[in-house]
Amino acid sequence: MELMERQETWSITYNHALGETASYFYAKIRDEGAIYGKRCAKTNRVLVPPRSFSDETLLPTTDWVKVGPGGRIEAFTIVYEKFNNLPDPPYAFGYVLLDGADTALGGYFKGIDLKDPAAAAAKLKVGTRVKAKFAEKRTGAMLDFWFELA
Amino acid sequence: MGLRNQPGVIGCAIRPVIAPRDRSLEEVIYDTAQLALTDAGLTIEDIDGIVVAANDQFDGRSISVMMASGPTGGVDRDIMSTPSASEHAFVLGALRVATGQFRTQLVVSWSPTEVSSMPEAQRLGADPYFHRALPLDELSAHALQASAVEQVQPDARTAAEAVAAKNRSHGQQAWPQPPVTAAAGPMRWPVTPAMTSAPVTGSVAMVLATPDFVQQRSLRDVAWIQGMGWATEPSFLGDRDLATAPALVAAAKQAYDGAGITDPISAFDLAELTDATPYTELLAYEALSLCPRDQWAARAADGSFAQGGKLPVNLSGGVLTWNPVFCTGMIRIAEVANQIRGRAGRHQAANVRRGLAHAGSGFAMQYQSAIVLGKEARA
Repeated sequence: MELMERQETWSITYNHALGETASYFYAKIRDEGAIYGKRCAKTNRVLVPPRSFSDETLLPTTDWVKVGPGGRIEAFTIVYEKFNNLPDPPYAFGYVLLDGADTALGGYFKGIDLKDPAAAAAKLKVGTRVKAKFAEKRTGAMLDFWFELA
Repeated sequence: MGLRNQPGVIGCAIRPVIAPRDRSLEEVIYDTAQLALTDAGLTIEDIDGIVVAANDQFDGRSISVMMASGPTGGVDRDIMSTPSASEHAFVLGALRVATGQFRTQLVVSWSPTEVSSMPEAQRLGADPYFHRALPLDELSAHALQASAVEQVQPDARTAAEAVAAKNRSHGQQAWPQPPVTAAAGPMRWPVTPAMTSAPVTGSVAMVLATPDFVQQRSLRDVAWIQGMGWATEPSFLGDRDLATAPALVAAAKQAYDGAGITDPISAFDLAELTDATPYTELLAYEALSLCPRDQWAARAADGSFAQGGKLPVNLSGGVLTWNPVFCTGMIRIAEVANQIRGRAGRHQAANVRRGLAHAGSGFAMQYQSAIVLGKEARA
């Protein structure tokens, strides 16, 4: 017999509250082209992206710390698929431990030819030094910055 | 394992791939639950409680336990759900049996492929504050982890390729005439298409019971839970050392302590480890104290973990053969249980007395569980 399907598409918009801590982080990116983390007073770990509390100690974080723009690659991957509302593939992204930070920040890598994944991967090797770059026009979003080889 | 009522697995239904689309998701869940009950020789009237695990984004239904109560027999019965991981439903079901308040539990999990894009559905698992702007799905997270592993262990790629070949070979023996062949996964360097398989629809159900119930019903094919451990890593990947698996180390210690195991490599007749990519299987070798990383390549090459080796791993073919994403963890547990019960099918090993199941779920195996199952009620 004929097997039928029912296709459904839902479009729902959420307005997520960022809270004071993430708002400050994005405002600094937008207004100063700088990345800030927040320090846990007990462990001295600087959390980037900033959190209002440490999930390690469960204590509120205290002072803001400017980090980067230099750092080292902690992990990377090269993606060849299209994702909704993201840049066209291929692209590389991963995590960078910015100078002065104790946790790594996710972001895109730019300025590297990705046609040959093995060759690109050699340039993005974990441990490689990179530098955060900022867009001229910034809106206070993760896509306002990216990483390039130092 | 220190529990007054040691839970035993008395029924399993493993459906790691469901190809025809002649059944709705509710009907798939019904079929699977009924198969597990039949395997246990029980009816729903014998079941004191139900635990289900599903992913709302994959199901296309919010609070998917609402639709599952009917097909599993949960109407007017005790039913709970664990949206974090399928293996967590197993752990919760086992703990409920262990309390002594329940004689039996039915545990069911499923993972459909009805959404237009699994990667997009998985991106909903990332926080909306810092990570939604990245192509962060489970495969990306596994690839990020693989890059970190390759950095600290330069021959990890050689070992990973050997693990992938081993599991595909096991899968061909377990599934000589598969109803469909899983497509290779997409490229997420350093994870290549040969190292993953595309998501398929699958489901799994298990029935657990107390020793008293097993004795009263004179049940013989029982896989007893000798030890269980579970732990969770931070949700932000940048907070983790992705080249290690500390949550699995903790889970393994809890499980091994419960089972009284001090020398894991000689303690088991076989193991089923989560191989979302072969790198996750390699990390599990180390965290479960089965093989240090500097021996990964050598042990992968000499067949130590292949059929006929010192410790066969993933005789079922693992996730690399069939990848029903959300319920792969519980399937690993059910596979080990069936090996002990002598009901594993084509890939049944001889004389299995004790086995190890590892379930790793989420972004780069954020959730880690280790389960020791044995033929003897006490370790």
